[in-house]
Amino acid sequence: MPPGAAQGPVQAVSAMGFPSPARDYFDGGLDLNRLLVHDRVATFIMRVSGHSMHSAGIYDGDEIIVDRSLPVKHGTMIVVSLNGQMLVRRWQTEGSQVGLLSDESPLPVLLTEGDEVEVFGVITRCLHYVR
Amino acid sequence: MSAEPRTSGHSDHVALVDVNNFYVSCERIFDYSLRNRPVVVLSNNDGCVVARSQEAKDLGIATGEPFFKVRRLMDSHNLAVRSSNYELYGDISARVMELLGRFGTWQEVYSIDESFIGLNGTLEQVRDTAVQIRAAITQSIGVPVCVGVSATKTLAKFSNHIAKHNPSMDGVCIEQLMEPALVSRIMSQVPATDVWGVGKKTGQKLTGMGVQSIAQLKATDPQLIRKKFSVVLQRTVMELNGQRCIGPVEERSDKGQVMFTRSFSTPVRTREAMDQVMSIYAQKAASRLASEGRYASLLTVTAGTSRFATSAASFPSAQIRLVRPTRDPIVLTKIAVAAMNELMEPGIDYVRGGVILSGLSEHPGVDELDLGLLGSTSAEESEKVNVSDVVQQVSQRFGAKAIGLGSAGLAKAPEWSMKREHMSPRYTSDWDELFTVQA
Repeated sequence: MPPGAAQGPVQAVSAMGFPSPARDYFDGGLDLNRLLVHDRVATFIMRVSGHSMHSAGIYDGDEIIVDRSLPVKHGTMIVVSLNGQMLVRRWQTEGSQVGLLSDESPLPVLLTEGDEVEVFGVITRCLHYVR
Repeated sequence: MSAEPRTSGHSDHVALVDVNNFYVSCERIFDYSLRNRPVVVLSNNDGCVVARSQEAKDLGIATGEPFFKVRRLMDSHNLAVRSSNYELYGDISARVMELLGRFGTWQEVYSIDESFIGLNGTLEQVRDTAVQIRAAITQSIGVPVCVGVSATKTLAKFSNHIAKHNPSMDGVCIEQLMEPALVSRIMSQVPATDVWGVGKKTGQKLTGMGVQSIAQLKATDPQLIRKKFSVVLQRTVMELNGQRCIGPVEERSDKGQVMFTRSFSTPVRTREAMDQVMSIYAQKAASRLASEGRYASLLTVTAGTSRFATSAASFPSAQIRLVRPTRDPIVLTKIAVAAMNELMEPGIDYVRGGVILSGLSEHPGVDELDLGLLGSTSAEESEKVNVSDVVQQVSQRFGAKAIGLGSAGLAKAPEWSMKREHMSPRYTSDWDELFTVQA
């Protein structure tokens, strides 16, 4: 069920039953969905496990926002299925060669014909908990 | 009877878009190991098969087959099994419907996985749009759809049927762009019971009249059909001949779902009015469930603006998984009202709205027991379950230790999960069950 239906952002009515003077100025506040989600139809949220994407600012335990509707270009951060495993990687293209880059090696792992590769979507945001 | 011209240049067309093997396709979005292998999804309580991948159909697995009968195929044929994950299916359905609504001049959500939409333009433009729809849903959501287009709803369904059964068409069939001779040949080969709205009983009666194929049904005198059957079947025959005469489908009750939607006599534009609409339709749907002795696992709310609207188009749709299968009118009404209240945009003229209940089962299952014994939400549930009966049923099904009276009698809470043994995580609706990706 869509969140917010029951709780509402702020009940602009005081306990006495008088409308709050702030009521006319309340416009809903800052909605994180508007900032973080470009198209809710195509947006999926995933949790990251592992340490090989620190250079991209993505850490173990973070949540990433993945948009399936965006195009994949050289340098795009993606979630990709490689031979059955879902990975966070940076998409690298050079000529006809395609590779997946992570902190595990300085050079991208080049894809070969035998690899089963399918891009799940483009990572647009990372939700990092600051401890 | 004079039929409308079959091919008009600029005109509005009807498209029926549905997701192939919907439940299985939802499971495959995240789980790449389910691709290219037989997959089945089980009903509430893991009782029987409710959805099959093409590979599972090819193995001869039938819908409704009890799980224990196909279990051996897990080893012998690499069959994958999933319990119904209504949270996931509901979320994916809402995405598909919202995306479809962006393409149509009007939209009628017809079930959890299919929707009629209106498409304007020349046939070539319509074909391009149909191809775009298919590509957009695959790209943005990750499930395959088929698009069938024609002049009427009945023909759009038929067109969709052709797209589905001919892989070379890449999931898109524009009936008016096919060779008329080919259409006639297919119609003469496909049984009349495959026509939208023609059931088994009607089919038997038609056979008695010598009407077996779609072509034969199409050629039958509509007046005769009206006399021998009903005005409903007469409309079907007229629609097969290209005459649009089936309006918005407002009620539907079958194995898969109970649906109550309506066109409003005057547009609804405030939250208060929409609350009332949802409340009435939810109660009607609930009472239909009660009369049929069934319980729903999933509630869908839908609304839409007019195809002629001058203001913004809006086709809100949401699916809500019910914590326990229920037919309680109070619970269903509360949820339907709250969901649509959240979704609708006040000030826009909505001309249609409705409630669909799906994921139906004959038994409330273990879930209803929860409140019967613990009384946790019994204030909200207006219907009571005979506790001793249920305890007996559950004990028989799951063993004596599965259940007992009072909270102390419960072995442990997760006992409920027994009935969804093979469930994939609720990737899109629960923060604790997000898909984990390796970095």
